[in-house]
Amino acid sequence: MSSVEIDYADVQGTILRGYRVDLARHFILSITDAAGAGAFIGGLVEGTGGLPRITTARRWTVKPECFVNVAFTAAGLAALGVTSQQLATFDPAFQLGATSATTAQTVGDVGESAPANWMGGLADGAKVHLVLSLWVAHDPAVLDKVSATLRTAFAGCMTELSANDANALPGNEIQFGYRDGISQPTVIGAPPRKYGGVPDDQPPVATGEFLLGYVNESGGIYSVTPPELSLNSSYAAFRISEQDVAAFDAFLTEYAAKAGIDVETMAAKVCGRWRNGNPLELQPDAPGTPLPMSQINNFTYVSTTLADDDTLGIKCPIGSHLRRNNPRNEAVIGGGSTTSTRHRIVRRNIPYGPPYDPAASPQPSVPRGLIGYFINASLTNQFEFLLSQWNNTYSFVSSATDPNGSADGNAVFNISGQDVFLGVNDPSDSSFTLAAIGAMGANNKTLTGFSRIVITRGGAYVFFPSITGLRFLATLPAG
Amino acid sequence: MASPLTLIMPLIPGTTLDEIIRVVAKYTPDISKAVKNIGTVHYARVMVFDRSTPNLQPGLTPGSLSLAIITEYDGDFNAYIQDFVVALGEAFFDALLPLVVGGKALLPTIDHIPEFEKYVMINDASAHPPNSLQENNGLYEAYPYTVQTILASCG
Repeated sequence: MSSVEIDYADVQGTILRGYRVDLARHFILSITDAAGAGAFIGGLVEGTGGLPRITTARRWTVKPECFVNVAFTAAGLAALGVTSQQLATFDPAFQLGATSATTAQTVGDVGESAPANWMGGLADGAKVHLVLSLWVAHDPAVLDKVSATLRTAFAGCMTELSANDANALPGNEIQFGYRDGISQPTVIGAPPRKYGGVPDDQPPVATGEFLLGYVNESGGIYSVTPPELSLNSSYAAFRISEQDVAAFDAFLTEYAAKAGIDVETMAAKVCGRWRNGNPLELQPDAPGTPLPMSQINNFTYVSTTLADDDTLGIKCPIGSHLRRNNPRNEAVIGGGSTTSTRHRIVRRNIPYGPPYDPAASPQPSVPRGLIGYFINASLTNQFEFLLSQWNNTYSFVSSATDPNGSADGNAVFNISGQDVFLGVNDPSDSSFTLAAIGAMGANNKTLTGFSRIVITRGGAYVFFPSITGLRFLATLPAG
Repeated sequence: MASPLTLIMPLIPGTTLDEIIRVVAKYTPDISKAVKNIGTVHYARVMVFDRSTPNLQPGLTPGSLSLAIITEYDGDFNAYIQDFVVALGEAFFDALLPLVVGGKALLPTIDHIPEFEKYVMINDASAHPPNSLQENNGLYEAYPYTVQTILASCG
């Protein structure tokens, strides 16, 4: 794809590869014995002492029994002996951590979602040192077997604060019933994807947006010291997001009626895709049959041809989840129509909890949602920017008209509120706009007064060291 | 609601008025284009002051010069600081900062975004008392609209 060459054997696999598995377990660990923790990490890197080897981004010929990756918080790196002077070179958001008041305010972890309420030991960020993740294709027995091996190995040097399980739902759906895992950035130099065709209509994204040590979309290079921790490392936001499906269903029913549309169209409008994955941009009127992978992500929002243009969000609302999180060629403040490539993220999430049964009565109070990583080379300019600017404001859209001019409207007037899924959405100011042709949004329908439906139950800002970095950390405590 | 930025950068002693004016003049077209493309800035101006004169006006003899960038902008400045550096880093900041006290440590700006952000915060007079103690950091606004809303309303 390009001249960038990445040593896949030096990169933790989950950064560049989707494992396509059904089961995951994320251990939240706190270091009690640094030297022992170092030895454990060393064992994982080399696959010694009966431990599974850390999965790298190298191609495999036979799919492994399990996949293992490990990431560290700033407190975790400090516990292993990374100095404060060295930590000062890391992403400022990472230094602050997910539980800091500044971070929580920035990403909207407020109210019920505030870090103080988080589960699994994640509320006390100072004690959260590692997230050790294990993925298994299908077999729960393998998950338990490998978990037992890991637990035996880390028992003497780390406290297990929690183990958080994920289990894929049929059809690769999330709890809200949408098909997931369709759109990921095409990373320059990353391993090719399994399916052919056009995976993404957008320009491939610079390697440096996902790995330290390579040129990023801004023309710079994210790096840290010491150098052993820099090249081929990355950051991620680990998140446990509880999805209130009953509340979402109630929202759809109530607001579809208010908007005068059917429930499934309402579900598509707030997401940007029908629940079967087809994008509104290509299937504006009905879900249709699922498009092939070569087509399902092949669209843009802005065109010089009126028939193909959706600058105004008539087909796919500008405030839909899809469009907010990746405006593609839509003009946004900060740099116009090419800005979105500077704020892409790799998503590695799997649902947790049982599937929602709308017929169950009484409805059991069972937590369900999505758990996993949002991976990027800059938590500040990618994950946090997405949450704070594109999901929790509406003023990021640039003034733009369709090819007919301002008589049809302007994009600025066709978005309101916050993202229905990831916004804070206090009912006092929550808002979603269904746009219609008309100057200055004159014919728009604006829906207001709804509540938050995704609650943050846990999180950690973590650093995925390269394999070189893991070897460095393994020996660091021993001096 | 807009916010004020009053970035006052002391220049390295010995920097002449001619040097700083030349840098600013050379990059003014780039600055205008970049600021327009970013789309959050209502007004902006670059000014030179001399701390050694009673009325701060620079004269012909070298003094203690400071360069000020004064703007009113929408939204969160820090969230868009990388966009500013992408747009202006190579063209302006990288030429300007060698003339600024402490500026060389920020070069190239594209690889020193957190440090540049800190530098701006430290040197933004609007962000420090007594200016920051005033309502909206002392900024009067005749209207509550964003740049993009105004542009959209103008058709």
